[in-house]
Amino acid sequence: MSDWKQNLQKTRYVMDALLLVSFMIVSAPQATGVPLHEWLSLLFIVPFAIHLLLHWDWITHSFKRLFSKISAKERFNTVWNYLLYLMMLLATVSGFLVSVALLPTLQIDINIQDFWSKVHHDSATLIMPMIGIHLALHWNWMVQLTRRMVSKKA
Amino acid sequence: MKYLQYQWKSRLFYVLAISILVSMMLVSLEWTSWAEQINMQGFTHGDGEGKGKMPSILRYILPFVKELILIGVPMLLTLAVAKVIGRFSKRK
Repeated sequence: MSDWKQNLQKTRYVMDALLLVSFMIVSAPQATGVPLHEWLSLLFIVPFAIHLLLHWDWITHSFKRLFSKISAKERFNTVWNYLLYLMMLLATVSGFLVSVALLPTLQIDINIQDFWSKVHHDSATLIMPMIGIHLALHWNWMVQLTRRMVSKKA
Repeated sequence: MKYLQYQWKSRLFYVLAISILVSMMLVSLEWTSWAEQINMQGFTHGDGEGKGKMPSILRYILPFVKELILIGVPMLLTLAVAKVIGRFSKRK
């Protein structure tokens, strides 16, 4: 397991696991408190950006592949990933626009609108089942990599 | 982290630039009639009712249980649907 940095699949696996754990912590403001939730959300941009960078090849080829002859599963997966990215951005942007701790600390004054409160609440809730489906679409990869990570030979 | 470091500056620039551009487009939603309507109606959630009676440990555990259910149930349902579709397409 110590060689995970030398292998792209294992690097993705470790970073994706960290992304999921950090997402779950960030998505629980009732447990962490709103101020910590907002600061952790700012930090969450780092593992999210790492996730995108580690899947750079997929990002650059996926749009072209969408218009070629691919399986229905791959097409659905591609569209789903785009939607998930949009939903993640919507949750993040709306979160900043309803900030009561982060932006005031940074001396940025905003007028919080009910619209953004609703969008943040709804998008943050909707993103969870979307992630569930995203995980299911990569289930075989997850199982395979978990086996490789725990086995000493791989 | 050689895979992460490879051309990371240019790649990160593209990721951030596209994300900021899309975010700015999303911000423009606040000028739609949909936003206007919600602002007029008002929105509140989680007024904290019942929290006083809840044991403090549950306040830290329940949000994560909620997340596990909201992520786990759709995941299991998708796996089940994928299995059914897989079997159906094999028969064909």
